Order: sequence, then C-alpha cells, then structure tokens
Amino acid sequence: MHVVQTTDLTKIYDNRYIALNALDLRVEKGTVFGLVGPNGAGKSTTFRILLGLQKPTAGQVQVLGEPMTAERADIRRRIGYLPTNPSFPRYMTPIGFLEFVGSVIGLSQDRAKVQLARLLQAVDLTNAASQKIEGFSTGMMTRLGIAAALMNDPELLILDEPTSGLDPAGRKQTIELIRELTGRDRTIIIATHILSDVERVCSDVGIISQGRMIYAGPMADMRRLARQGTISVEIEGNTTAFEQQIHTLDEIGSVRYERLGAEFRLTFLGTQALTEYITRVLQLIDRTGVELLHINTGADEIEEAFLRRLEEDRTRGFLRAAAWAATQEISGAKEESDAGIPGHPAV
Amino acid sequence: MQAFLAILRYDLGLLTRSWITRIWVPLLIAPALFLVAVAANEDELASETLAAYLAAVLIPISGLAVAVLASAAVSGESGIIADGILSRSVTRSEYMAAKIVSRLGFTAVIYLLVMIPFSYLIIRYAAPDTSLAGVVVGLLVVCLLLTFLGALGITFSTLFSNVLLAVLGLLLVVVLSGFVLQFLGLTWMSTTAVVYALPDTFRGHTPVWDLVRVFLVFSALTAAAIATSFWVFRERDL
Repeated sequence: MHVVQTTDLTKIYDNRYIALNALDLRVEKGTVFGLVGPNGAGKSTTFRILLGLQKPTAGQVQVLGEPMTAERADIRRRIGYLPTNPSFPRYMTPIGFLEFVGSVIGLSQDRAKVQLARLLQAVDLTNAASQKIEGFSTGMMTRLGIAAALMNDPELLILDEPTSGLDPAGRKQTIELIRELTGRDRTIIIATHILSDVERVCSDVGIISQGRMIYAGPMADMRRLARQGTISVEIEGNTTAFEQQIHTLDEIGSVRYERLGAEFRLTFLGTQALTEYITRVLQLIDRTGVELLHINTGADEIEEAFLRRLEEDRTRGFLRAAAWAATQEISGAKEESDAGIPGHPAV
Repeated sequence: MQAFLAILRYDLGLLTRSWITRIWVPLLIAPALFLVAVAANEDELASETLAAYLAAVLIPISGLAVAVLASAAVSGESGIIADGILSRSVTRSEYMAAKIVSRLGFTAVIYLLVMIPFSYLIIRYAAPDTSLAGVVVGLLVVCLLLTFLGALGITFSTLFSNVLLAVLGLLLVVVLSGFVLQFLGLTWMSTTAVVYALPDTFRGHTPVWDLVRVFLVFSALTAAAIATSFWVFRERDL
C-alpha cells in the first residue's frame, strides 16, 4: 500500500516560479524514504502540499489513501511533521507547547501529560522543560519539533531537513533518534541534502531535482548503481603505457576514463559483475608493469550516484521533454479513438 | 471543536500577555476616573461627558489598539501557523474562527469592562439627562464600530504576511473611507457622524430608524469582513 502517492504534482508560484514539475512520488508503508535533492529542488513544497498547507497547481495527492486538502484535519491527525528550522511560540515552555499540541490533536489532559513527559525524556529535553522556547538552540528546537511531531504517535512521520543547522554531535543524536523511530509499521519520509544521513537511516530513496523525481528506488539499488562499473586506481611507473592500453578493456564493456595525475577513474558501461571489471583492470596493471598504489570501488558511492543522476537529468532535458510530448500525443490519440470521434474511428 | 478551544485559549493567552493590552487598559481607565471626578464637581451633563470620553479617548485609543491586535491576528504569527498549528489536526476554518472569536471577543470584553462601570459612575454623579435604553444603545453602537474595525483588521492580517503592512493598509482604508463616503453622499455611514450623534443617542433622542440603519449596515460590513477573512485564509498557501 502506498502511504503517499502523488501523480503529476505541479506547483507554480504566481505564474513565475515552477517549484514542482509533474512530480510522481510513491512511498510504501513501513519504509524510511529519503527525499534527496539540492536546495530549492522542491522538497519542502512537496511536504507542504502533502500536509494540505499549500494547494497544488495541478496533479493529484493522496496521503494515507485519501486525497489531501487544507480541511482534512482527520488525515493530519495521523501525520507527524517536523519543519526545517521550526518556529514555535517563543513565550511557551516545552511542556506548555506540547500540552497545546496535545489539546489541538484531541488528547485528554492526562494522556497528553504522560505522552509529553515520555517524549521530552526521549529527545533529551527533560532538563530544559521549564525554559522558555525563545532561549533554545537550533538543536533543541529540532528535538522539540520531533517530540511535537510524535505527540499523536503518527503512522506517517515527515521530517524536513532534520539535521539542518546542527553541529556533528547534534546531527548524530538526531539520526540516532530517527533510527529508533523506525519500525512498528510507521512510515518515515526524510528530506535532506546530506547524503550520509540518508545512507544511514533510509531504506528507500528518491532524488528530486528542479521539482521532478529523477530517481526513486530502494537504497540497495542506489548503492548498486553507484558501485556499478566505477573503479579508481592509483598507479606508479609507466602510466603512459597503462593509459595507452586502457582501450583493450573495451571487450568487456565500453570503458570511459579520466585521469587525475596518477589516479585513473575507469567507468565501465557494460553489464558485467563488478568483480569481472576489477579482475580485468588488475590484469592490465600486471601486463603494463605499473605498480598499484590504491584501488577503490565505492568511496562516496551514494554521493557519486546522486551527482551522476543529477548530471544525467540535466543533459537529457530536451530528450525527456520530447519523450513526454510523444507520450501525451499517444495518450491523446488513444482517448480520441476510444471516444469514437468522427474521422478517428475506434480500432 | 477541541482544536478550536485550544487555539482560542492559546490566542487569549497571547492577548493578555501583549504589551498593547498592558498599555491600552490603563490609558482608558485613567482619563475615565478623571472625567468622573470632573463631572461630579462641575455638574456636567452625563450624555455630553460620556460622548466626549468616547470621542476623545476611547475610540482613538481603542481604535489603534484594536487595529494593531486584529491586524496581527494571522500575520503576526506567519511562521508559527504552519509549523506549530496548521500542520496538526486543525482545519483552517477552526483556526480562523478561534482567531476571530478571540480577537473580537477580547475587544468587546475590554470595552465593556471599561464602559459599564464608567457609564454607571457618570450617570450616578453627573447631571442626569440620559435614558437607560439610550445609554445601552449608544454603548452597543460604539462596540459595533470597534468590532467592525477589528473584523477589517483580521481581513488585512490574512491578506498581508507583515503586521506593519496590515496595520497601514487598515488605517489607510479607514481614512480613505471617510472621503469616499462623503463623495458618495453617505456621510451617515461614517464613524464621525455616528460619534457626533452620540449625545442625542444617550438621551434617547436619535430616531429609531437611524439606529437600525447603523446597526444593519455595520453588522453587514462586519459579517462581510469576517467572510472575506475566511475565504482569503482558506485560499492562501502557507
């Protein structure tokens, strides 16, 4: 079952800025989905539409199996949301604020008290419970935001840049906290541009660029994609001979390479297993008599895959637009023929 | 309903903590006490004293306070609305209804808390020339004017995300409306005309039709402002 499903979701602000461009997002129940993209890619806009805070210009949004609108408080009751750098009433204390959230979502006073005490302890804010929110650091605000998002024990948890503005210790603490929240049929969507965060907690990943989903799939596939066919070797000796013979590797799949001093980055475009490529590269090293200093098959793999996807998307922009137009033409023609329009008889 | 009550409590808490309220109430009470003393000693007419207080003190001061408080209703917490409130199980209608009830109710309560004891003291110690019905109707007319101003302020607060802009917009409309009403020959609809007629109203001499007309027009305008606020806020992206 899809907990979140958007189809051709489009958001255009004031007929001037396209924030979302026919975005298709599918998030399965129970997964931890990482929505990755550069700043301004449309992550926060997507979340605001999922919560009914903004209206889509076009397209459909379904959350927990129902269409989402501003008035669907019943769906929001089942969602927890942590905004980027959240702002909460500054004069309140964490207890006062969580009590307010509890009363808004319809918890009884007693139930809210039990829940907020448990959550303040979980997010390590018990000692700050009597302080006013205005004196809170970014990390404390984020942790309070997570506690507020969990007050209703949500089925769907949406976290927008949860580690933004945090120091390394705060980041680690927040990631650990998110890890603890996984499981129990809870679906979590995390937007971030910090890839190592995604790698640590997400089971699925989607890459969003310029308001469009350019890749979505399991994290394992993303890793595989990153590893696929890229081998970096650092060599010493007759590097010219090695470079001249790289083309001989073409027999196992088209190979591209780039040279950075003594380091060669070889990318195979074939479908062989990675081990096959490694074997051939090592054979080439042996044959040319160069000395191997370092070999690498997967450093920064997620970042590599992410950047590769972004680059591919940019270079294929026109091809994609043409393909989309063709699809529209075909579906338009099909609709016409299905309707039996005169001159276009149904087949 | 639970969300409505929670937001109502939250907003009333904001209003009672507001520095505007802390200045507003003493600024109304101090001149009122002074006027009671003067009216008692100088044997002033109750109707004229009440009308003078309303025209010179209450309406300008309360008008400004209500303009700021109402214009800040939504625009004053543009960040918190989405992050802290409307991303939870609250509908926009519930939020808006709570804000309207809170801001307009708070205005009315402050006004009546000041005016009821003040009117009693003036009637008791100044030269009596008022009728009870006239005083009640006169006070309600002014309450309606303030409510309308508050409702218009809330409309502006849904239109602008900046409090200052909302306040300026509201004051500009209030000032311009005087010229427009004069140009259209509808001077009876202006606040100035209503205030000018207050002594007669307190004495019970204002024709009933004039009062009914004022009530109908300002009630309708208040209702229109409230409906516009709901509509604008529902359509707005947060």
